[in-house]
Amino acid sequence: MNTGAHVLVVEDERNVGETLAERLQGAGYRVTLAASAARARQAWRAQAPQLTLLDVGLPDGNGFELAAELRTAVPQTAIIFLTAHGNPEERVRGLELGADDYLTKPFHFRELLLRIQNCLKRAQDLAELPGEMRGVVRIGRAHVDFERFSAEVAGVSHALTHKECAVLRLLASRVGKAVSRDEILNKAWSADEFPTSRTVDNFIVRLRKLVEPDAEEPRVIRSIRGVGYLLTEVIRE
Amino acid sequence: MNIKAGQGSLSVMPARRARLIAALAALWIVLVMVLGAGWVVLVISQARQISELQSFAGSTDSAVAAQWASTRRRVVGESAVFLLLLLAVSALLAWLYWRESRRARGMQAFFAAVTHELRTPLTSIRLQAEAIAEGDQRVELARRLLEDSNRLESQIDKTLELARIEGGGPLAEQAVPLHGWLERTTAAIAAAHGSRVELSAALDEPLAPILADAAAVQMILRNLVENSVRHAQLERVQVRVRARARGEQVVIEYRDNGAGCAVQGALLGRLFGRGVGSGGSGVGLYLVRALMQRMGGRAEFHSSPGDGFRAELYFAASREGPAP
Repeated sequence: MNTGAHVLVVEDERNVGETLAERLQGAGYRVTLAASAARARQAWRAQAPQLTLLDVGLPDGNGFELAAELRTAVPQTAIIFLTAHGNPEERVRGLELGADDYLTKPFHFRELLLRIQNCLKRAQDLAELPGEMRGVVRIGRAHVDFERFSAEVAGVSHALTHKECAVLRLLASRVGKAVSRDEILNKAWSADEFPTSRTVDNFIVRLRKLVEPDAEEPRVIRSIRGVGYLLTEVIRE
Repeated sequence: MNIKAGQGSLSVMPARRARLIAALAALWIVLVMVLGAGWVVLVISQARQISELQSFAGSTDSAVAAQWASTRRRVVGESAVFLLLLLAVSALLAWLYWRESRRARGMQAFFAAVTHELRTPLTSIRLQAEAIAEGDQRVELARRLLEDSNRLESQIDKTLELARIEGGGPLAEQAVPLHGWLERTTAAIAAAHGSRVELSAALDEPLAPILADAAAVQMILRNLVENSVRHAQLERVQVRVRARARGEQVVIEYRDNGAGCAVQGALLGRLFGRGVGSGGSGVGLYLVRALMQRMGGRAEFHSSPGDGFRAELYFAASREGPAP
C-alpha cells in the first residue's frame, strides 16, 4: 500500500468530492479537494500530488484540457479520470491525454482504491530509474528525460505520459534486443485495463512520431515480425 | 464557458452510412432527371412522326406546323411540371430525412445528458451507502443521501415534465395572486436546499394576479433555484426574487450572486444547450422557457462572469379576480 501518498481530488459535485476525500483519508492518503479547475491549479502549485483523481466535467473548464496542463506541470503525477460519461471515445481520449486509468461513475470505492494502488505502484516503479537512465538520453532525434517525463525534439518539449515513458524505458533497457508485445503489455499496463496488442502498436506509432527522423520508415524503433519491437540506439548525454 | 447545443457525444448515423445515403439521393435525382428527359425526347419524337404522317396524309404545311407547335408546347409544359413535382418531392423527402436525423441526434444527446445527471447522484449515494455499511454512522452521510435522493427525484420530475410538455400536455391556467403565494412557494423551495440557499422575495403593491398554471410556476422557480445552486460555485448562494407590474404584464425578476458564465442569454435554455463541463442536462432552463411560452409569456436569461445569473419571467396579468 502506498498509504500517505498525496492525492488531489478534482470534483465539482460537493457530496461526491467530500465523501471521496473523507474515505481516502480514512484509507491513509493525504487528500486535497478542489472543486474547480482554478482551485486544482492552485493545489498542484502548492504541493505536487502523487496521484490526481480528475472529473471530466468541471464548472470552469474541461477535465481533458486540465489533464494535459497537469501532465506538463507535474509530470510525475498519476491521473485517474472519474466521469459519468462511459463512452469508448471519451475513454480513449482520456487515456491518450496521459491518464493512467479511467473509471466510470458510479463506481465501488474498493475498486477505486485498488486502481489508485496500482497507479501509484506503477508511478513508483517508473520513478526508480536505473543509473543508465538518469539524466537525458538521446533516442533517435528525441532527447528524453525519464525523470521529468519529457522529450525534446527540435527544440520543442513534449510531455510524455507515464505509459509512454514505461514503454520507452522498457525498450531502452533492452537496447538492441527484441521485446515482445506481451512483455510490454505486462510491464506497462495493469490486468484490469484490458489492453490488447493493438494498444501497444498505437503507443509505438506515437513514440515513433517523436523519435524517428521519418516515422514512415522507422529505423530507431523497429518492428520484429511476430515478436514485438526493438530499439536500435540509446545514447547517454 | 463554451456552449454545446444539440450535439451528442455519440453519432446516430455513422459517417459512412450518411455518405452512402447522400450518394443514393444524388443517384435518385440524376435518375429522375434522365427519365424525365428521356420521356420528353420520346414524346417529341412520337409527335414529330405523327406530324409527318399527317403531312403524308395530305394536311397542309401550315396545319401540320400549328399542330406540331401546339404539341411541343404541351409536351414541354407537362414535362416541366412533372420534373418540378419530382424535384419537389425529392427535396421534401430529403428535408424530412434530415429533420428526423437531427431529432434522433437530439434524443440521443438528451438521453446521454440525463444518464449523466442520474449517474452523478448515484455515485454519491453509493459512496455514502458503502461508508454506512462499513460502520460510519455520521448524520452528515444521511444529509448527503437525502440531498442526492432529492436531486434524483428532481431530475426524474423534470424529465417527465419535459415529455409531457413536448407531447402537448395541458396546463391549468388560472388567475394566480402572487401576494403570499410567491413568498410561501419560494421559501419552501429554498428550504429544500437547506443552508445552501438564502432567498428573499419582494412584491410591488398593488400587483394584479398572473394568468398562469401555479404548478408550472412552482417548477419554473424550483428549476431556477436548482440552477443557481448548481452553477453559482458558492457554498451559500443568495437569491433575490421580485415581482413587479410592467404595463399589461407582471414580471418576476430572479437574480443570484453566483459566478455567472460567458454565455449569451439566448443560448441559455436551449434544449441540451449547456456549458461544456458544467454538468447538468440542460433540461432545467429549457423547461422554464417552454413552460413560459405555453402560458403565453416569455423568459429571458442573462449571465456574465462575476455578475451572477438573472432571469426575467413575463406573465400576462389576469383581468379576473384571485382564484378561489
